Order: sequence, then structure tokens, then C-alpha cells
Amino acid sequence: MTTILPIISHPRSECQGIEPAPAPPPMRVVIIGAGRGGTALLDVLHQIGTIEIVGIFDQNSSAPGLKRAQELNVPIYDRVADLLKSQGLHLVMDVTGDPSMESVLREQLPTGADLVSGQASRLLWTLVQHESTWQTELLHAEKLAGIGSFAAGIAHDMNNPLQLILGLAENLADEVDLDTVHAQARDIIDAVKRTTAICRDLTSYSRRTSLRQDCLVVVNGKLDEALKIARYAVALQDIDIRKLYQPDVVVKGNQDELLHVFVNLITNAVQAMEHRGTLTLETSAMAGTTLVRVSDTGCGIPRELQSLIFEPFFTTKPPGKGTGLGLYNIRNVIHRMNGSIGVDSHIGRGSTFTLTFHDESGAGESITPS
Amino acid sequence: MSEFKSGFFIGGESTNGRVLIVDDEPDIRKVVRMTLQKAGYDVLEAENGEKAIETINTGENRLLLDVIICDIRMPKVNGIEAIAYFRQNYPRVPLIVLTGFPDTDMATSLLRQGVVDYLVKPVEGEKLKASVARAMEQRELAHL
Repeated sequence: MTTILPIISHPRSECQGIEPAPAPPPMRVVIIGAGRGGTALLDVLHQIGTIEIVGIFDQNSSAPGLKRAQELNVPIYDRVADLLKSQGLHLVMDVTGDPSMESVLREQLPTGADLVSGQASRLLWTLVQHESTWQTELLHAEKLAGIGSFAAGIAHDMNNPLQLILGLAENLADEVDLDTVHAQARDIIDAVKRTTAICRDLTSYSRRTSLRQDCLVVVNGKLDEALKIARYAVALQDIDIRKLYQPDVVVKGNQDELLHVFVNLITNAVQAMEHRGTLTLETSAMAGTTLVRVSDTGCGIPRELQSLIFEPFFTTKPPGKGTGLGLYNIRNVIHRMNGSIGVDSHIGRGSTFTLTFHDESGAGESITPS
Repeated sequence: MSEFKSGFFIGGESTNGRVLIVDDEPDIRKVVRMTLQKAGYDVLEAENGEKAIETINTGENRLLLDVIICDIRMPKVNGIEAIAYFRQNYPRVPLIVLTGFPDTDMATSLLRQGVVDYLVKPVEGEKLKASVARAMEQRELAHL
């Protein structure tokens, strides 16, 4: 397999097509409070390349944010004083909601550091919630826009069994042979079951993603599920599908979001091949790193566009065919899972999208089947 | 029923004509066969465009195939490609499209190319038979 270029690990560090200016030193931030506010802050700040979370503190050692901090490799402190002694702090963010904490922090605030507390902290919390809701809404909107392209596939899969049902029912109206009547009645029942399965798949796929329902997702199964959904959007009949699955690979994340990611990548791959070629789905887990690769033998992405494809509203598809939000949303989902996404593409040979997840408390590993 | 029936003989039995159904779904081929055989047609099947082209180019089918009923979304050679082949190589054989996806632009384009009918599944047996009968009339006229 060829080298993956470029690996995009932080939204703000992406190439914009011009010589990048030297990156400023990261803003060093500490978080006081690991409740809901602290957890949400961790999730947002962790995705921003120019911010370094120096550490987090909470009086309650079982606060949910501490577990999240552990997953993100953010140092956890037992004492505020120790945390505030960290070198070169720029910002102390108090999201405890405890009015007495502000005065404690002001007394120990290191020189050169600012404190965000009280009303400012509440405003921050509101903004973080808003950002989170906005991203979820955007993902859902893009998913629903994509479902519009399922019409041909759904019509095909619904109308074929309906044709069978209608044909058999018409025949049964004057069929006298009892064995034939029984056999055709069974065929009708099977056809109805197939039709209802389509509705079940799509209802499940189109549902709104629940916030923070992270769990261990069985990647191979999720890829297979995505293939089932993607075939509504793109014709897979002439696609040679190769599955190079390492058994029992799991990653930690939101399973609805991951399904959406896989459906999108598979759909893009098939479209790039104009419905003829080889689609390779590959999973592997080794030394704490899990890789998921989706490769096609399609037209490839010009080198000058490779740095733009993850930007919002960037699309090479004709008007009405793509929202330009697919890869942007994928990147956001993967970043929320503390992973990265990269593309390796060659004109006329095809593209490989690689998702990389590092082992952080359960993510990126292989499980033994129970 | 039409006065233009060809009524040729196969294996000693008279039929109303020979129809090829091209669809990747065996269930669809099964019910179309059932409906048309009851109406006295001799029915051949092909599971995709490639097989359909093979079938029409085999033996007496070159001369005796009266009507082709063709799906659009199929593997290998799809319906659009197969129809283009039939129109070019067998312009006198009438074509009926039987598809699961109602697409007005595609229907218009195919009807302009000379397709007799664009039927969307599920289609009732009577409607299918009427469509095949119309196609048979066209087939007869093509021989005049």
C-alpha cells in the first residue's frame, strides 16, 4: 500500500493551497470542572490544533469529564494548585458553576494567564452546546439530502417484490392447483418480508443521531451494513467488492455516525468509478492503531484538489448532486472519535481514504469474540 | 385480440408470438413468463443485457423474436446499453421497458428512441398483455 498523503489531523492545520505561515505556539489552557461543561469543552478544544489542554481538575474524582480526559490523554490533576503551577498557562477556564471557586482561582492565577469564570463561563457553555447541536444538525441535514439520491434504489427494491406480489395474486385469482396456490402464497409472504426489510433499514439509517452514544462499534459489521445502505444510492451490480477484514476490529464512537461515514465513503468510491471497478474495504488493528481503508479504482482526485475536499461546501459534483458537506462531516465525526482521515489518490488509478484511530481506552483494538 | 397476430409454429404448437424478458430478478422473469404464457406467448428469459444480446443472436431468434421486454437497472450490460444495441441491430423488434424506477427524462428519451412502452413496476397483467399486443401490431406492420 502506498503512503497516505496528506494526513489531516486537525481542522485548522490543513493546507489551503498556499505556502502556510509559521504556526503560532498553541494556546495553553486548563479546565477546572469535569462535569457536563468540562466534558463538552474537552471535546471541542481537543479538536482545535492551536489549543493545548494542559490539564483538568475536578474535586469529584468520578466526574464524567475525568474519564473523557483519560481517553484523550489529557493530564488529570488532584489539586488545583498543582495544575495552576504549570508553565506558560494562557487561560484558566472555570466551568465548575461553583461561585466560591472563582475567588480561589483568582488568588492562585499565574502571571500572564486569564481567567474565564462566572457569566463568561456560562456564555462559553451555551456556545459549546450550540456548536455541538449545530454539528449534529448539519450531519443530519446532509444525511437526509443524501437519502434523496436513494430514490432509484428504493424504487427498484420496492417495486420488484411488488411486481411479484401483483403477478402472483392475479394468478391465484383463478389458480385451481392447491400446491401451486400454497407455493405462491409463500412467495407472496417472502416478498412482503423483503419489502418491509427495506423500510426497516432506511428508517434506522435516517433517524437522528443521538448525542454522545459512544460505544465499541464492530467495524466489519458496520462496513457491511453501510454496503447494504449504499446500494440504494449507487448501483453495485458491476462493482467487484473485495473485503480484506481483520476479524473482530472495533473502534469507540457513535455507531450511527460511523455508519454514515462508511456509507458516504462507499458512495463516493462507487461514483468515482462510474459504477464499474473494484471497491476494496480493509480493516486492521495492530499495536494500538486501527485502520479502516476504503479504496476505489476510479478517476482519482487531482493533487491540487486533495487539500480542499474536506472543506465545507467543496464539491466536484454537478449542481444538485452533492451538498459539499459529505467529507467535511466525515472529518468532523472522525475527529470527534479522536481519529484522523487521509487520502491517497492518483488520477486514472483511484483513491484510498484511510481512517486512523489510536488506542484510547478501548478505541482501536481487536476483540476476542465472546 | 389483434388481427395482426403472427401465429407461427414452434414444436408443433401455435403461439401468439415470441417474447424475450430481460430482467436481473428471477422473480420478475417468473411472473412475466406466467402472465404471457397464459396469454399464449412463447417466452424466453435473459438475466442481463449481455445474455439478452446473446439470446437474440442465437439460432432462429434472429428471425422469430417478436418483442423484447427490458429492465433498465441490470448488471454487466444494463438496459440502456442493451436497448441501444437492439435498436441498432434489430430495429424491427419492438421494445417495451419494464422498470422499477419511474424516471420521466429517461422515459421520454427511450420513447424517442422508438421504445413502444415505458411501464413502471408493478404493472397489472392486463396492462402488460395490452402493451405486448400493441408491440406485436408494430412488429406485424414492420413486416409489411
